[in-house]
Amino acid sequence: MAIEISHGCAKGERPLIPQVCRVTEITQETPDVKSFRLVTLDGKKPFDCEPGQLGMFGLLSYGECMFVVSAQSDEWVQFTVKKVGLVTEQLHNLSVGDEVSLRGPYGNWWPTESCRGKDMLFIAGGIGLPPVRSFLLYCLEHREDYGRIDLVYSGSKYDDLVFKEQLFDIWPNEPDMHVHVSLYHEDPKHPEWKGDIGYTAPYLETLDLGPEDGNRVAVICGGPSLSRTCRESLLKAGFDEGNILTTLEMRMKCGVGKCGRCNMGGHFICLDGPIFSLAEIATMHSDV
Amino acid sequence: MLLSKQNLMPLLNSLASDVDVFVPTTIDGVKKFARLADGVEPDFDMINTTMPPKDLLFPQTQKMYHFDVDKNGSYHIHEYDESREQIVFGIRPCDMRSIVCLDEVFLTKGFVDEFYANAREKLLTVSIGCTQAAETCFCTSMGVDPIYAPNADVMLQDTGDAYKVTAQTPKGEAAVSAWSEFLSDGDAEPVNCDVTLKVSMEGVVDKLEGMYDSPIWENLSIKCLNCGTCTYVCPTCHCFDISQENRKKDGVRFRCWDSCMFSEYTAMAGGHNPRPEKLERERNRFMHKLNFFERRYGMSLCVGCGRCVEKCPVALDITRLIDDIGSYEVAPASAE
Repeated sequence: MAIEISHGCAKGERPLIPQVCRVTEITQETPDVKSFRLVTLDGKKPFDCEPGQLGMFGLLSYGECMFVVSAQSDEWVQFTVKKVGLVTEQLHNLSVGDEVSLRGPYGNWWPTESCRGKDMLFIAGGIGLPPVRSFLLYCLEHREDYGRIDLVYSGSKYDDLVFKEQLFDIWPNEPDMHVHVSLYHEDPKHPEWKGDIGYTAPYLETLDLGPEDGNRVAVICGGPSLSRTCRESLLKAGFDEGNILTTLEMRMKCGVGKCGRCNMGGHFICLDGPIFSLAEIATMHSDV
Repeated sequence: MLLSKQNLMPLLNSLASDVDVFVPTTIDGVKKFARLADGVEPDFDMINTTMPPKDLLFPQTQKMYHFDVDKNGSYHIHEYDESREQIVFGIRPCDMRSIVCLDEVFLTKGFVDEFYANAREKLLTVSIGCTQAAETCFCTSMGVDPIYAPNADVMLQDTGDAYKVTAQTPKGEAAVSAWSEFLSDGDAEPVNCDVTLKVSMEGVVDKLEGMYDSPIWENLSIKCLNCGTCTYVCPTCHCFDISQENRKKDGVRFRCWDSCMFSEYTAMAGGHNPRPEKLERERNRFMHKLNFFERRYGMSLCVGCGRCVEKCPVALDITRLIDDIGSYEVAPASAE
């Protein structure tokens, strides 16, 4: 049976007004990726959300951008931000204790219920891991509800791999979890890299992770070419389009399906998504 | 009830002493709705304004909140509510239909846009049916009756020397009962309005489903300048940008009209742009008007006002596109 994904499930009052939050912890993940833990000014979790949901995180004086909540606890939410533009560059200048703006949660969430009992195959490239990790962490927290877990993760350089401690020290020791990491090319700065070399899709194909008669669900997040090639590899391996999930990205401003720009046909990624199955995307008029 | 045309200006002046009344007029050569004040001459014979009255609900630039820091350097956010009682007097039925579309966008699907909702709550709509159509008007083809707007609070229909007045909502009934000194009992037959430009929407929505990769979009987009005029004069276009202006740590965050015709509209910080060329943007705009919105909200996002047809500098004409879609032969679906 195909995975059932909820859509248009976020609701809320005053959706465009942010709250002021405080940065409590900053982790330098890579030279240009940092994770930020946020709490409200009185020290509480800014909002409750499901894994995969979005938050509009920014600086009042510079602007705001949409990110997937990359991790959360009862006390905080975390965003993992790559420095690529004006706002993210300013976010990278933040220090612990600084005040930021945050609104959300927006969008739908990973189908944690519908995936119960399934083997999970997470596929990500570069900064695509944080959105996928929100689901992966949920599976690890509810380990008995899910079968075998595979993570296939690639980056162009060793330095670009995010969450290295989890990748190399923690997750490989989780029960029935298999972590596969490749670099796109030999990395002259890290000649000691003994892992695999290869682009994500061909690397994925060498791992021989099949659809298991519909009992394996694939979860993809990466740039346009990674997404396209990995979808093709999975379909070639016999996966059903309904068992391939992805989280989509487009430029967003409002977060609630009104400002117009993140439409995919008549659907808005910020509101109806960001999570869709390939079977759903196939029925949409997609420019993504 | 009837409102004699002699009583129209006295009624308007009386209303304007209490609230802001917006009427069709010409200011600096631009036909638009403006607040009735000294020197503003309403023109209710104008077929339609160049600029739609959507800015009364969705201002071109709208302050949402300002922020500042206190002595301790801590940020504070102060919301704006600049909504106030407004009357739009003389809005045409096509523009009233556009408000049905805007209500769907801003008030449904889980999140209510408070800025729009506040303005909508305080807006009284007094529609005047048309007596003549421009050569670019095609409202009847889009299901709009040029002499009747079902969602107007008050409907005025031209009967010659007087307007037939019908209150259509509780808000409209309250208004009309307050206008009694200007009204007289009676009934008269409204003048009809002949709309000559016609297109057939029959089958267009369904047909577009199979036309995403049709060459029709490239042919259409070749001459487009991506100037965005069509989106600014469109009464239903509602896309907006959010930005801010600040001086050190004090500033204002606002939203302003944006346009899907611009490549920056969808350009992402990482460099990827899902709609990089005119072709994708034109296709998205017209699919949104004629198909996407219909699928999402059950109605067309084109009301047939003809503004984009009139103002496009390269005569890119949605009515011709609709004709072309109608006569386009969709290849049978492949057996994939």
